[in-house]
Amino acid sequence: MSGCDAFRRLVSAYLDGELVDEDRAAFEAHVRECEACRSSLEDERRVVQAVQRSLPLHQTPAGLRDRVDRLLAAPLERARPAGWGTPLVVAASLVALALAGVALLQRSSAAPPRVASAFAAVAADSHLRHARGQLPLEVRSEAPAEVSAFFAGRVPFHLTLPDYPVDPGARKPYHLVGGRLVAFQDDYMAFVAYRMDDRPISLLVTSEDRVRPAGGSEVASGGLTFHFESVSGLKVITWSDKGLTYALVSDLAVTGSRSCIVCHGSDEERRKIEGL
Amino acid sequence: MLCCRGAQRLHHDLDEDFRAAAVACLDGLYGFALALSRDRGAAEDLVQETYVRALAARRRASPGENLRGWLFTILRNIWKNERRRRRPEAVDDVDSIATAPGVADPETALDRRELRERLSQALDGLPGPFREVVMLRCVLGFSYQEVAGIVGCPAGTVMSRLARARAQLRRSLDATNGAGPGGSA
Repeated sequence: MSGCDAFRRLVSAYLDGELVDEDRAAFEAHVRECEACRSSLEDERRVVQAVQRSLPLHQTPAGLRDRVDRLLAAPLERARPAGWGTPLVVAASLVALALAGVALLQRSSAAPPRVASAFAAVAADSHLRHARGQLPLEVRSEAPAEVSAFFAGRVPFHLTLPDYPVDPGARKPYHLVGGRLVAFQDDYMAFVAYRMDDRPISLLVTSEDRVRPAGGSEVASGGLTFHFESVSGLKVITWSDKGLTYALVSDLAVTGSRSCIVCHGSDEERRKIEGL
Repeated sequence: MLCCRGAQRLHHDLDEDFRAAAVACLDGLYGFALALSRDRGAAEDLVQETYVRALAARRRASPGENLRGWLFTILRNIWKNERRRRRPEAVDDVDSIATAPGVADPETALDRRELRERLSQALDGLPGPFREVVMLRCVLGFSYQEVAGIVGCPAGTVMSRLARARAQLRRSLDATNGAGPGGSA
């Protein structure tokens, strides 16, 4: 019965499309075999359908619509707030964490379904939308300085993307594609897109006082704590350092360690991750 | 770098994008404000204040993909602060609500208008924390993560509140459909 209790708690998530991959498959397999859980599922499905059939529930009064139209018709101001913080290059200690992360991200199909942390989920969602072409970049450039300059004044923190020289004739293992702003709660975060072996990798950055990493499997290293999660079939690593919080997202075709190259591409740092 | 004229055109385009997105959210914001306040006048004030504050904060950046969620977060924060200012926080005791076994089909032989009226009544009967997650997820279509961001709670809490809210909605709909709680179709 305890197994049924666990699955009953997931009925809403299943109906709302929030269960994916092995979690969804495990739920469907259980419901096929369990009449009581199947009945619970159908009960809740009828409520969901009843709500859908009754929409729209409300109509905006004409007077309110007029007032909002007048508000929006006024010119928008566009002053830039001053940034804060110091220039940052992402810490090299992430490399060591990738080793542990690769193992931690190997989730067993028998593991109970989990709900990802909000920040990791937004990072994964932004990654997916960008990969589908639904989240166009606002600045497209392979130059870290140019993408960094785009974020200056647009986000309430200072972000300097790292760059590393590549030997003449050598092939750079990754390419910066560009960036854009992504809204979260009542502010904006920096979304940075990369490509490696023609696969997308993304980095979402916000301030640590707004978001602190949570959830997933924690690994401490180099004075930092890294959180490893699997969200919607993507690998998400989140951590905070020097006042900023990061989420690095890659798909299953890119190992967690390789994705770290986007910030650890120098010769010295790349040696640390060879063989991972 | 953009030249001055190019920057002006970009700003104009972004302004138009922002306005279009903001107008598209109006019906949803009003419905959410009604769900929170259960008062038409208060709901209108909430929505208007939301736009005023959004426009003031708009200077910070370009509209992002989650502009919609941002507007709903602003509205909820205004409501929460206003409520706290007027009287001490009256927390709905969501943990005291019992769950019940499955009951009758809530939508048998109902036309849409009748169903809408019954659903509105059933929604009004939900505790505030349940009502807002039902509105945000089931009516307005936000994902669990977006709801969690707006409401300021973990996504797992959103999931459990939704499950319990739907169970209570089902009982309310069944009760107004002639079958008492715990009855059958």
